[in-house]
Amino acid sequence: MKTHLKMASKLRSLGVIGVFALAAVFSPLPSLAQVKGGEIVIVQGSNPPSLDGMSTSSQASRNINMNIYETLYGFSEEIKPIPILAEGVDISDDGLTYVFTLRKGVLFHNGDEMNAGDVKASLERYRVVGATKNLLAPVKDIEITGDYEVTFHMVENTPTFLEAFSSPRAPAVIIPEEDGATEAGKNSFVGTGPYKFVEYVPDDHVTIERFDDYTADTRSEGIDGFGGKKTAWLDRVIFRIIPEPGAQVAALEAGEVQILEQIPMPAARRLESSPDINLFKNARWAFTTFIFNTSVSPSDNVKFREAVQVGLNMEEIMAISSEGLYTLNHRWQYEGTTYDPGMIGAEYYNQADTERAKALLAEAGYDGEEFSILTDSNIPQHGRSAVVIAEQLKGMGINAVINQVDWPTALNVRMQDEGWNGWTLQMGIEPYLGPVGLIATLASPARPHFVKPDAELDALYQELIKGATVEARQETFKKIQAHLYEIFAIIKVGDSGLMHAARSSVKGFIPFRFPRVYDIWLEG
Amino acid sequence: MTTEAASDTLSIGREIRLARRRRRLTFVRRLLAHPSFLVGFVILVLFTLTALLADVIAPYAPTELNYRFILAPPSKEFWFGTDAYGRDVLSRIIYGTRVSLRIGIYVVVMTGILGTLLGTLASYVKWLDGLIMRSLDGLMAFPGVLLAIALAAALGPSETNAIIALTVTFTPRTARIVRASVIVVQGMQFIEAAYAAGAGHARIIFRYILANALSPLIVQLTFVFAVSIVAEAILSFLGVGPPPPAPSLGNIIADGRSNIQEAWWIAVFPGLVIAVAVLGLNLMGDGLRDILDPRHSSARDRP
Repeated sequence: MKTHLKMASKLRSLGVIGVFALAAVFSPLPSLAQVKGGEIVIVQGSNPPSLDGMSTSSQASRNINMNIYETLYGFSEEIKPIPILAEGVDISDDGLTYVFTLRKGVLFHNGDEMNAGDVKASLERYRVVGATKNLLAPVKDIEITGDYEVTFHMVENTPTFLEAFSSPRAPAVIIPEEDGATEAGKNSFVGTGPYKFVEYVPDDHVTIERFDDYTADTRSEGIDGFGGKKTAWLDRVIFRIIPEPGAQVAALEAGEVQILEQIPMPAARRLESSPDINLFKNARWAFTTFIFNTSVSPSDNVKFREAVQVGLNMEEIMAISSEGLYTLNHRWQYEGTTYDPGMIGAEYYNQADTERAKALLAEAGYDGEEFSILTDSNIPQHGRSAVVIAEQLKGMGINAVINQVDWPTALNVRMQDEGWNGWTLQMGIEPYLGPVGLIATLASPARPHFVKPDAELDALYQELIKGATVEARQETFKKIQAHLYEIFAIIKVGDSGLMHAARSSVKGFIPFRFPRVYDIWLEG
Repeated sequence: MTTEAASDTLSIGREIRLARRRRRLTFVRRLLAHPSFLVGFVILVLFTLTALLADVIAPYAPTELNYRFILAPPSKEFWFGTDAYGRDVLSRIIYGTRVSLRIGIYVVVMTGILGTLLGTLASYVKWLDGLIMRSLDGLMAFPGVLLAIALAAALGPSETNAIIALTVTFTPRTARIVRASVIVVQGMQFIEAAYAAGAGHARIIFRYILANALSPLIVQLTFVFAVSIVAEAILSFLGVGPPPPAPSLGNIIADGRSNIQEAWWIAVFPGLVIAVAVLGLNLMGDGLRDILDPRHSSARDRP
C-alpha cells in the first residue's frame, strides 16, 4: 500500500506536470473565447535594473520590457530570426549590404508613426548604450534609404549577423527618434509594443497597460516567439517584486497574484493537484555552470581545473540546485538542437572520480591553498550549487570556502581579476541564443567569464561567426566543444529547468523566455 | 601577650575564612533553591553539553549531503527531518548550538572586559567620564540589533565579524551599568576608609570597588549572552553571520524559509531551540538578580 502510494505520487509528479505542460501548449487555440479587460499581477523576485529596453541584459528587465518594446528582427518560437517591426530584409550576395524595409503604420505609444529616422536613431543609440553593443560591431554605418527603409553597410561578411541582431539578450529595440540621444536608462520608456509603461515603484511594482492603438503584425495567425500577431486582452498588468519565494507562493495561493515567474519545486509538487493552480514547465531554461578564474592560483593551473572537472558529481549538484528539475548534459548546447556536438567531452562529465581528482591535484602541485567560490544569495540555484560544489571539493582535498554576497556585488567581484577562484552561474539566455551567443561570453572582444582570454578559443569564435554555412558552423562548434574540455576553464554542470505557475483563471499562457502578457486573458 | 595576640590574629583570620566559606555555601544553596535559576541553569548545562559533545551525539556530519533524501519529513532515520540539501536537521542544530555558544561566550567575555574597563575608567577618572560616556551614548543612539546588522554587513559575513559587531553593540550598555554601580560603591564609607588606610588605586578598584559592583554586571552579562544567541541567529538569517554551509541556527532557519509550507521542520526545530535557550538564560539571569541584588534578597530573607 505504502509503496503503491509512493509510486502513485511519483507518477503524479511526472504525469501532472507533463499534462499541464501539454495543456499549456495546446490551449491557446483561436477558437477559445478570449475576454477583453481585467488586470493581472505577475511576480518576479528582483527589481528590473532598467526599463530602458536596450541598455540592460537583465532577465528581470526583459520580462517587462519585451511587452513594451519591439525589435526589427527577433526570434520565433523555433529560435529562428523573423521580422517583427521589419517587413523583411534584402541581403546582398557578398553579405556587405542589408536593406531593411519597415512595416508601415506602426505607432509608438506617444502616437507618432515609426519611420526610418526612428530606426537609425535607435540603433545609433544602441551602439553607445546597448548592453551587447558588440553585436553592431560588424555594421560600418546605417543609412536612411527611404521613409521606411534603412540600409546597413557592413565591415565584412558576417553570416551570423542577423541571428545576433535578433538576440533578445539586450534587444536592439526601436524607440522614437527624440529618445535617440538620451543616456542609458534616461529614455521615455516609449516603444511600439502591445502594452505601454505606466509607472515604476522600485522594490514594489511596475505597471503597464494596454496600448489601444497597437498595430498588430497580421502576417501570422498568432504569437510566434518574440513576434507574430500580438493581441493585448488585459487592461493592465502589474509586475510585482516579491523577493521571498515562500511569500510569492503564499500570494499565489491566496489569489492576490496570478502568475509566478518561478515557483520553487517543492511548492510545485505540493500544488500540482490543486484545481486553482496550473504549472508550466520550461525544461530548457538554463545551463548550470561553474566558472574558474584562470588568472589566479590555484585555478590558473589546467591540471587543477581538470581535477575539479573529473571529481565533481554533477547529478548531486543538479538534483539539489535545481530542486529536481534538471537534465544531465555535458554538451554546450541543448541535446538534439542544430549545433548539438554529440558525445565530445562526455568522458569528463559526471565522473565523481575523487581518486583521479586527487591524483591530478598532486600532479598540479596543489598545496591546500584556499579556493574561494563566489556566489550570491539572490538567485537560489547559485547559492545551492555553490554549497554542493564546496562540499565535493572538500572531499577531494581542496580547501574550498564560499563567499556569498548579493547578486550585484557578485557581478562586481567577478569583473575583478583577483579575489575569487570559482563562480556559480546559471546561463539562461546565452544557450537559448545558440552557439554564438554562448561563446561570445567566453571569447574576445568581450572579457571572458573565466578572465584570461584563451587565444585558441578566440580564433574558434571568429571561425564560428564567419562560418558561411550551418554545416561549417556545426563543425566549428564541435571543435569548440572539444576545446572547452581541454582547457576546463568553465564546467558544464547540467541543464536546469524552470517551473512557472499561474492561477487557473489565467488562460492562454505559454511558457517562453519571458512572460508574454499579450494573448493571455482572464476567464470571464 | 605577644603569643596571645598572635593566636588571636590567627583565630580571627580563621573566623573570616570560615565566614567567607559559609557565605559562599549559602550563596550556592540559595541559587539552587531558586526555581527559575535552577530551570535556567539546567537548560544552559544541556545546551553547553550538546555543544561540547556535538561530535559524539550528532547522528550525521552537519554538512553531509544526500540528494536522495531532500526535504524528508521527521522519521526514525532523521528525527528532525532533512533540509533542501538532504542534510540532517538534527545534526545541524546540534552543531549549530556550538556556533551559538562560541559566539555567545566570546561576546560575553569581550563585552565584560571592555564594558568593565570603560565603565570603571569613566567613573574613576573624572575627566574621562564625559568623553567615554558621550561616545557610548552615540553608539547607543542606534537600535541594538540594527547596529549589529550594519556593522556585520560592512565587515562582511564571518563568525569573527559577527562577534566584533555584537561586542560593539553590547559594550555601551554594559559600560553604563558598570559605571553606575561603581559610582554608588565609590561613595560608600569603606572606600573612604580604604583611602584613609593608604590603599593604592589598583587595590581600591579591584579589591573594593569592582568586587562590590559585580552583581549587576553578572546579570547584564547573562542577558548579553542570551541576546547574542538571538542576535547571531538574526545576523545569520540575514546572511551576514557565519557564511554557508556553516550550521548556525540562523542559517538553518534561513534555509528553511523558502520551503516553510512544505518542510516546516527545517525552521521550526532550530527556532524552538533558540527559544528554549534564551528562555533558560533569562530565567537564570532573573535568579541571579534576585539573589545578588541585596534589596531583592533582603526583602525575601527578612520576615
